[in-house]
Amino acid sequence: MNNIYLYQDDFISLLNLINYLLKNKIKPDNIKPQTYQPTLLDEVINLKIPHNPKIIQFIIEISNSKIFNILYYVYLSNNENKELIIYYFCLNLLKYRTNIIYMRNLKCVDKALKISKYVGNEAHRLKGFVRFKKLEHDIYYAEIAPENNVLFLLSKHFKRRLKNEYWLIKDVKRKIISIYDKKEFYLIEEENFQMHNLKVAQDELDISKMWKEFYNIVAIKERHNERCRMNFMPKKYWKYIIEMSDE
Amino acid sequence: MEIKEKLKILADSAKYDASCSSSGSTRKGDLGNASFSGICHSFSADGRCISLLKILLTNCCIYDCKYCLNRKSNNIKRAIFTPEEICYITINFYKRNYIEGLFLSSGIIKNPDYTMELIIKTITLLRQKYHFGGYIHAKAIPGCSQYLLKKLGLLVDRLSANIELPTENGIKLLAPNKNFANTEKIMGYVKNNKSSKFVPAGQSTQMIIGATKESDLDIMQKSENMYNNFQLKRVFYSAYVPVNKDNLLPTLEKPPLVREHRLYQADWLLRYYGFKTKDLLDQNHHNFNLLIDPKASWALNHLDEFPKDVNSCSYYDLLKVPGIGVTSAKRIMSSRKHFKITFKDLKSMGVVLKRAKYFITCNGKYFMDRTYFNKNFIEANLVLEDKPANTQQRKQLSLFNE
Ligand code: SF4
Repeated sequence: MNNIYLYQDDFISLLNLINYLLKNKIKPDNIKPQTYQPTLLDEVINLKIPHNPKIIQFIIEISNSKIFNILYYVYLSNNENKELIIYYFCLNLLKYRTNIIYMRNLKCVDKALKISKYVGNEAHRLKGFVRFKKLEHDIYYAEIAPENNVLFLLSKHFKRRLKNEYWLIKDVKRKIISIYDKKEFYLIEEENFQMHNLKVAQDELDISKMWKEFYNIVAIKERHNERCRMNFMPKKYWKYIIEMSDE
Repeated sequence: MEIKEKLKILADSAKYDASCSSSGSTRKGDLGNASFSGICHSFSADGRCISLLKILLTNCCIYDCKYCLNRKSNNIKRAIFTPEEICYITINFYKRNYIEGLFLSSGIIKNPDYTMELIIKTITLLRQKYHFGGYIHAKAIPGCSQYLLKKLGLLVDRLSANIELPTENGIKLLAPNKNFANTEKIMGYVKNNKSSKFVPAGQSTQMIIGATKESDLDIMQKSENMYNNFQLKRVFYSAYVPVNKDNLLPTLEKPPLVREHRLYQADWLLRYYGFKTKDLLDQNHHNFNLLIDPKASWALNHLDEFPKDVNSCSYYDLLKVPGIGVTSAKRIMSSRKHFKITFKDLKSMGVVLKRAKYFITCNGKYFMDRTYFNKNFIEANLVLEDKPANTQQRKQLSLFNE
């Protein structure tokens, strides 16, 4: 049987569970969120561990905030084994402390660094690729469908950038919406949010047309390089990038 | 003329400038902020990053540079934006997250000062009326007065002037109204006054490659000289695209893209790897080998210094190894204190092993029989490895990763 330990689907619960497992020298076969569908070979274990946010300080104290961020980015990733990778990373963290980031010969460290970079890269890319549409009442609305759960990271970025606008960003894959009210942003599940039928603003069509024309004009035809474009702006993002979506 | 029509004309005539980088500034405003590492918002069909709304204020010009679409003697549609029009497009594009900011350049109308004043008026409006805090790169017009440079520099993140060609002779031939002295006066002024308020993201410049007969050695010497004298952030190399017919201009089938790529690679070596132009080129080698990148070329010509052992050689030795970059060299340095690095570990540190393996040992071990450590064998393999068409992408990345 595989021992599968369950956590509430949030980062702090995961860290608390891992902390508990490490303290009690329990080696899990896997760690999964509550929504996990067990197979016949799984033995699901649901421990009641108090939700203790202090775990964050604890990790930062024994390492530093950069290492904490690596763990957080791994948690945001779409990697199937991310919980186990975090578990083994933490196990080694107790031993190596801040030196852990140099220990790329350890599989869990190598993986964690790669995954966190992959998540960071996707978040960075999307800072550029997000396209807002202006709706009535000057509300800016965007949809994304990222591989990793980067909505929080993006929201932090747009909170600074468009701080005096109302905006909404919807992660279509995960069905979460980030709503910004000119002060703070909130991540809300789509089903708990009523989007009234807002029409696009009247200048929207004009502006987006101008942008598409600009986009097409700036390409130098003597330098045409489709492969290069594809590399930097992979097709999976095109659906939500207006200059690409109806090319 | 409608604003849409103007945008078409003035974006079309601005697109040959290679720079589109938006990095190096931490500006904040009511609307927008600059991202220190720069952000690409889109990529055009030629694979270039689109970060800024790159436009000319006007494509009218009193000069007649042979290589330029906007030169006086060309019979093309001319347009001029009003400052409000530029603000309207910039703000609307910015709020929809199409762009990171504005890159404003201009043909010269009436005279340099008059043109500069129009640029300043536009950007003042953006910053003061619209409280725009996004990135702005403006071109300074050579020959303008110093007080205008000062004014403009306080409004923008980056200010630049294009040197255009690597030698004064080239300028005389193709851009008879321009000269090095005026451009370098701007560079000198920016260098001496740069601060967190004045041109915080620094200056860059651009050279056109292949419009004149100068060699790569001429080009790299000019770059090196400008990096040393003016603390430029970047020199951009722009493969000449034949937009005009003129018997002073070469007839090219295609822009020299591979050459441009090699120049970017060499430029990188100057800025981050401790190389000097004289290490890479000399009187017997005026031009880079198009088949092999400049660093590998150098390594092959200095094979007696290799192989280097990654567990014991110095940081600068690591940087000399083809396939090892700044990041991976740093990783090797900090990791090897904790464990002995093997070939497998190098891969996870981001080393391009298929290039590096010929030039290194790990704990004294070469990756194969040592008898293969010879120039011909390695060179043949590296040439096969390095398909410039594929590596084009790497250069593109470097365009905005300053
Ligand atoms: S100054 Fe020369 S390069 Fe600049 S717009 Fe006029 S003709 Fe073109």
